[in-house]
Amino acid sequence: MIRDFLRRVVALIKKEFITIWMDPKTRGIIIGMPLMQLLIFANAVTMEVQNIDVAVMDRSKSVESRELLSRFEHSPRFRNFYYTDDKTTFQKYIDIQKVQIGIIINNDFARNIKSGKTTSVQIITDGRQTNSASIAGGYASQIITGYGAEAVPLKGAAINASVRNWYNPNLNYQWFILTVIVALLALVITLILTALSVARERELGTFDQLIVSPLSSVEILIGKSVPPLIISIILTIIMTILVTVFFQLPFRGSLALFLIAISISLLAIVGVGLYISSICNTQQQAILSVMTFMMPAILLSGYISPIEDMPVFLQYLTYLNPVRFFMVLTRGIFLKGMGIEDVIINLIPLIIIAAITLTLAGRTFKRKLG
Amino acid sequence: MKILLALVKKEIKQILRDPSSIIIAFILPLISILIYMYGINLDSVKVTIGIKNDDQSPEVATLVKSFGHSKYVNSIVFDNEKDIETALIRSKIKGAVIIPNDFSSKLSRRQTADLMIITDGSEVNTANYVQSYVASIANQWLATSKYNSTIVKPRINTEIRTWYNPDMDSHFFILPGSIAITMTLIGILLTSLVVAREWERGTMEALLSTNVKTIHIVLGKYIPYFILGMLSLAFNVFLCVCIFQIPFRGNYLILFIVSGLFLFTSLGIGLNISTMLKNQFLASMMSLGLGFLPALMLSGLMFPINSMPDIFQHFTRIIPPRYYVTFIESEFMAGTIPEIVAVNAIFLSVIGLLLFALMYHNTSTRLEASSKRVRLESVQ
Amino acid sequence: MNTVEIKNLTKKFGNTVAIDNLSLNIEKGKITGLIGADAAGKTTLLRTIIGLMLPDSGEINILGFNPETQKDELNLHIGYMPQKFGLYEDLTIRENLELYADLKNVPHDFDKMLEFTALTKFQNRLAGALSGGMKQKLGLACTLLGNPEFLLLDEPSVGVDPISRRDLIAMVREMINPNTTVLWSTAYLDEAHNFDTAVVIDKGKIIYEGKPHNLAPTPQEFENKVIELMGGYTQEESLIAKNYEWKSKYCDENDDECLTVEADNLEKRYGNFYAVKNNTFKIKKGEIFGLLGPNGAGKSTSFKMMCGLARPTGGTARIMGIDIKKNPEKARSNLGYMAQKFSLYGSLTVRQNLEFFALAYGISILKRKQKVNEVIDVFGLKEYEKMKAEELPLGLKQRLSMAAALIHNPPVLFLDEPTSGVDILTRKDFWNHITSLAKKGVTILVTTHFMDEAEYCDRISLFYHGETIAVGTPAQLKAQAGAQDMETTFINLIKESEKQ
Repeated sequence: MIRDFLRRVVALIKKEFITIWMDPKTRGIIIGMPLMQLLIFANAVTMEVQNIDVAVMDRSKSVESRELLSRFEHSPRFRNFYYTDDKTTFQKYIDIQKVQIGIIINNDFARNIKSGKTTSVQIITDGRQTNSASIAGGYASQIITGYGAEAVPLKGAAINASVRNWYNPNLNYQWFILTVIVALLALVITLILTALSVARERELGTFDQLIVSPLSSVEILIGKSVPPLIISIILTIIMTILVTVFFQLPFRGSLALFLIAISISLLAIVGVGLYISSICNTQQQAILSVMTFMMPAILLSGYISPIEDMPVFLQYLTYLNPVRFFMVLTRGIFLKGMGIEDVIINLIPLIIIAAITLTLAGRTFKRKLG
Repeated sequence: MKILLALVKKEIKQILRDPSSIIIAFILPLISILIYMYGINLDSVKVTIGIKNDDQSPEVATLVKSFGHSKYVNSIVFDNEKDIETALIRSKIKGAVIIPNDFSSKLSRRQTADLMIITDGSEVNTANYVQSYVASIANQWLATSKYNSTIVKPRINTEIRTWYNPDMDSHFFILPGSIAITMTLIGILLTSLVVAREWERGTMEALLSTNVKTIHIVLGKYIPYFILGMLSLAFNVFLCVCIFQIPFRGNYLILFIVSGLFLFTSLGIGLNISTMLKNQFLASMMSLGLGFLPALMLSGLMFPINSMPDIFQHFTRIIPPRYYVTFIESEFMAGTIPEIVAVNAIFLSVIGLLLFALMYHNTSTRLEASSKRVRLESVQ
Repeated sequence: MNTVEIKNLTKKFGNTVAIDNLSLNIEKGKITGLIGADAAGKTTLLRTIIGLMLPDSGEINILGFNPETQKDELNLHIGYMPQKFGLYEDLTIRENLELYADLKNVPHDFDKMLEFTALTKFQNRLAGALSGGMKQKLGLACTLLGNPEFLLLDEPSVGVDPISRRDLIAMVREMINPNTTVLWSTAYLDEAHNFDTAVVIDKGKIIYEGKPHNLAPTPQEFENKVIELMGGYTQEESLIAKNYEWKSKYCDENDDECLTVEADNLEKRYGNFYAVKNNTFKIKKGEIFGLLGPNGAGKSTSFKMMCGLARPTGGTARIMGIDIKKNPEKARSNLGYMAQKFSLYGSLTVRQNLEFFALAYGISILKRKQKVNEVIDVFGLKEYEKMKAEELPLGLKQRLSMAAALIHNPPVLFLDEPTSGVDILTRKDFWNHITSLAKKGVTILVTTHFMDEAEYCDRISLFYHGETIAVGTPAQLKAQAGAQDMETTFINLIKESEKQ
């Protein structure tokens, strides 16, 4: 009995592997595309604002203003400087995005410093890129405050914030985004592999052939989930190795826990994909449904903005979102060295999601028959 | 002309009968706009931090209290560092403040007192927020505390003015940005299977034996999806401007013209994928890989292009959403700036025309010619 | 005056020669039948004639145009119906007609056409929801728009019942004028026998060209002559049947009275519409039971319910005594199933497909290799075993499907239009295996539109409007209808039922 079961399941798994793996183009795309994107995105994507071009309107033209501006020029974050005295030109530079930031120094700047009065420097940021604007503005004000503090040394009580950034001492944005990208790419591949699989067989008529065979729903379900699961687990492991070797991302957690965590996370995603596939009649519908699921799932996964910050209703909704827990787990185990207890807490919702979606998918395989 | 009209009418009917197109063009943008509007907050994140106070002086107790009163911070008091670590790993808190036991005594002696801030570096953005919130709360507290007479006011103030978006409301740029994502999806995802489907079902063969010319086939695919995309654009703009009150300072005509150019390039990508790849699985992978992900990651919508290494900055030049994101954000927030409109419109037109030419080249009124074997197999 | 003049045409795909130095003239105003085995080059020839494909060498002149360079001009004068009819399934009948009328620049005047095809009532129905016969009529109607001078039809009658086929020919004859030339590729030789000219091609060469009546006076003899021309068919002992081992414990090997397949008041209802209504029959071991009926009569639905692909709304079916509703997996393990459309895995090789089905049907891993080898030998698939299934010609695909259906020695075999679109030689061979298997005790439930094939059945159930209108041996049915051949029997019985 159990031998028959295993035999049939193995046959199905093997068949699925061959269909995915036989075609060199498909193979190339499944492995090649995510790895290529990992390399591109990992290098390209950053939140640290760099290469900032600056428009300067220095009305003071004094030693002091030169001194302040030279600090900007020596900062690695700022790149090209365009000096002008003309207000229209200055505005134009910002309008056409020739520069990302503007500095205006008034003509009483040096006079005020010398006479011990408070003076101010105006920084113009480009609100069209709200995020980078505020970050660039922050850099600029640091430089100005630094200069101010030296020009007028502090005496008296002050608070010095000595910051320790745990898990990521230099707040290297790449570390954060790499764990996100690995999860994101694994998500995309897993969803496409599973969502199209049943829909494709329906379109080609081979699904009827499967149903007429003695394969039970459970066997079909296992046969349909194992190959994409294994492929996406292997892919995730390859990506993990790449990010630790090439991008020196520290891996602090336990490898065993990590493997368990990604396997269960991916299983939950496999469940979602197969459920989508089981309700779709064509591959076109399947791919569009994947998109309809994926967009909100990514946006509400907590990587763009923290879940605690969402309205309560949406916070509850994210409990249904496997991507949320997937991201928490990859980031947590990778960077924070999450322990077993915390891993389990995050795995429970994933197991529930997997159980529900896989059950629904298995039931829908045959219910769809009409 | 009549032939083209007939093909366009046919395609539109097919679109209307397939609910998934409507979902992608109207329902999905609505969902994402709602999420961007209410689910995502990039401006004033409220963070929960832990506080451990080793200084028993009553003055410092007011500092602990002021952390509780801030609208940006929730605070939890801890007794030992071990608990802080556990809470940090579980993401219960995003950071912590430790007030050392010599904090008040140093301040009384007019010295600089250390305030230790711990952040969860695994979430870089939040870590930055924690740093700046804590530092500013502490400094504000200092200014109103009994030590305030002894602090020195900074002599150079930095006045930051943010043009086009003085309140730094990130919705003003993320909502127009989401329009770019929707346009990409309509252009690439919806169309990436439509040509392959005609070959598979044998309808292409029937069309080719009528008076249909290459240009009819190509335009017959472009025009209907273009119309759908523009309707979706109108719907998106309506949602953004009328419902969610995102200020629009530009010119609607220009907005629609440049959006049309962008849609033209996106359709070019999707239709070329569909013309070249008969396998729907590969076509889907390509449309997500070449369409959705680059639009999300490399368009400048989420991550500034300027900060990328040079080689990747150049790479983004072949990504149409890059031009569109730049344009639409500027058009919404800064109004029509001729240079911005022109540069982006020109690049979009060039890419769009190249893709159109490629599609025209690859579309044949015969079953063979350019990619003969592929077609033949798919037809048999 | 000739519509088609072809001189020394050659067309290759890679190393395969599809059309080999072929010369052909087709006279204006004649209906010409194009006959040939699968992969003989029929479709390639049609496609080359209208310029959808380019010849490697040779000269083609169609209506005075060269399709290589003047395809656009030529298109104005022809009507071409590809194998799948070229219909948009998500458009309605009327919308399909409007589309093709616009593409051919003719007015939207379909009344006569709709009336003639009896589609007027359904003009707002989606083409995808039509039966095979209606699709075919609609496809033809679209092709006939604009009164083309030259009509090319690529196997328009595949999968279509005899009544619709007759209608189709009548329709073509009615709608064309005396100057219209028709080139009609077909697998039905009785159909071709009616045409003015017959062109038989084999391996890209013409092996007969002339009046069908000159070859043989009756359709039956014509068929035999064509088979002879194609190399002849000699009935050999079926290795497939020889290798078949009876295994089921349910029936004794020699118990010919054992009921293997039973349908018990099967019913399928959609709202108020009965697709199938109290369908009851019992099939004995070793019987070949044919389900016949017009397209859309409910054959396929019954068939699907019998093997568990559709859920009955009433009644049930038993296979080897096992209720398909209560215990579907177990019932199906006794079943070999061959679907209407080729539905094995195209991207797997022949061997991989067979290995998969062997395991799926529970053949142990140790025995599998031996079994698959055996099946490959018996079915003559040895030289193709490493080919991908999607690359096989239709006849071989058919053989592979049957091999997969028989790999576990099922006592019951369900065949849904197994020979649709298959050439005469392959069909003969196929039925040789079927009848031999039946002699070994395999119960066979089959649907077909080839009336000559109905003769092979032990019993036939004739289906119409979801109900059985007649059951019996072919001889009984013929007597009941007062007809000589099965086709007339079929048509008479349906007409009779319609009167009631």
